[in-house]
Amino acid sequence: MRCGVTTSSDRQPLPRGTEIRGKWNGRLYRLERLLGLGSNGQVYLASSDNRINYAVKLGLETAELQGEANILASLDQSEKGRQSFLVDVDDVVLEGKTVPFYVMRYVPGSPVKDYLRQNGTHWLGVIGYRLLERLTQLHDAGWVFGDIKSDNVLVGEYGRVELVDYGGASAIGRSVRQFTEIYDRGYWSAGSRTADPAYDHFAVALLWLHALDGKRLIQLTRTLLPQNRHPRELMKLVRSHSRLLPLEAWMEKALTGQFESTKDASRQWRESVRISQKPKTEGDRVPGWMVGLLGVAIAISTSVAAIWLFD
Amino acid sequence: MKQILLITDGGSNVGESPVVAAAQAYAEGITVNVAGVVDEGTIGEYGAAEIAEIARAGGGISQIVTSRQLSRTVQMMTRQTIAGSIRQAVNQELRQLFGVDNVGALPPPKRAEVVKVMEEMEETMSLSVALLIDASASMKPKLHAVEEAIRDLTLSLQARTGKSRVSVFHFPGDAQYSYCVMDAGWTSDANKIRSLFGKIRMRGTTPTGPALLQVVDFIRETCGKIGKTELMDTPSQATRGELNEVRSDYVV
Repeated sequence: MRCGVTTSSDRQPLPRGTEIRGKWNGRLYRLERLLGLGSNGQVYLASSDNRINYAVKLGLETAELQGEANILASLDQSEKGRQSFLVDVDDVVLEGKTVPFYVMRYVPGSPVKDYLRQNGTHWLGVIGYRLLERLTQLHDAGWVFGDIKSDNVLVGEYGRVELVDYGGASAIGRSVRQFTEIYDRGYWSAGSRTADPAYDHFAVALLWLHALDGKRLIQLTRTLLPQNRHPRELMKLVRSHSRLLPLEAWMEKALTGQFESTKDASRQWRESVRISQKPKTEGDRVPGWMVGLLGVAIAISTSVAAIWLFD
Repeated sequence: MKQILLITDGGSNVGESPVVAAAQAYAEGITVNVAGVVDEGTIGEYGAAEIAEIARAGGGISQIVTSRQLSRTVQMMTRQTIAGSIRQAVNQELRQLFGVDNVGALPPPKRAEVVKVMEEMEETMSLSVALLIDASASMKPKLHAVEEAIRDLTLSLQARTGKSRVSVFHFPGDAQYSYCVMDAGWTSDANKIRSLFGKIRMRGTTPTGPALLQVVDFIRETCGKIGKTELMDTPSQATRGELNEVRSDYVV
């Protein structure tokens, strides 16, 4: 039920180079820079043993932070065969106060919205496919991500996707622990806040709307009366956007919870993207013979002109 | 667990002190949270102080927000109150069993186990939230946001594994001796929380204290004997019917 209420933003970030040593496990981390402010803590890029590849989350509330670490540990358990997310859980004493923290593997990349803006929307197909493949694994392991939004979907080189902030993940069948209002199925009167794969499908559809047509989406949330919030309003945006229109069928299914599984969503995504990449009809392409004819015409006219000039 | 969530925009001006009323609620095992809604200007020093004090007396939390932030604030407060009360109970156990002050004093691996149990309790514990809405004249433009926040809260509670339900009251009431009116009896259905306040006649007085006490009475009547450690509720069908009749009398 956590939904983006920032309670820690008024706290000053710790200066670069701050060293924190765990009280229980004794490992030393050097904070490099602030990566983000969460609703319940601060995340720093950190190095340990001169390797900069950790993300350290310093929290305010021990039980809440431990709850997130527990989710990462369960995910590491249920998704064997990949690198562990959770590296360390410990406390540090800062200015006389005990502050709980946990350490994750650092994931480089930029938020998907920024990536598409910088690299072009033609990356949408690959990114969307990668995201759905990742969600397929997560759902198969019994988890729903929940808080899908641009900041939590990081894209690395060549459209490689990583999810971050697994602390908001929920076991399938439980209530969604953490969500962002405009990505939330409940907010759009499109279903419950019970964690099921379709909850994530819905949020993925909103992610594309937000990434490609953010202005109109935000405008819609400002002007629409609560009782009129409905997937059909979102579909109006989809149908009037040139980049989203080819994905209309996929978007509609995601917004109304009609995919059989995430695998199915992923397969249909791939198909929709492939169709949109092909030219619509034969008439759109200039046939070869026409190009040839043009060449011949140019050749004839230049030679005629040349003959006339030198004559 | 039982909670009263008071949504108001200013100081009370009639009857019993709301601070005393909240303290009474807390004594009966009901936590009182307060959301102060303010859109233009400020809530005033007096109003802000009162809001904070009602929550302190009621063992709950308070926050002053704009109507835009109301939905998320209401949910955050409800959730934090559940988590807080479980933490308190667990810390007490830890003190007795292991002589440590709180979860944070345990080494991380032990902590992980305890937190798992705490989260299980948070998700499965049964929960009743009575919403008490200040419908005095100045609140009129904010009532849409209030209604939306209530619907949104119900939607979130519906998703919980444990039994959850809300009831809705507004004050002042229409009659001389009724300080508040019930708009919806205990329900877990978000769809039932629609156009609650369409017919309210806005009046000037703000009898926050008496209204609070009336809601405490309601919770006592409908939830049976209230104990702080009680985790299961038994709804009473008969009382519910009775109260629904009361409602149609008042809201015309």
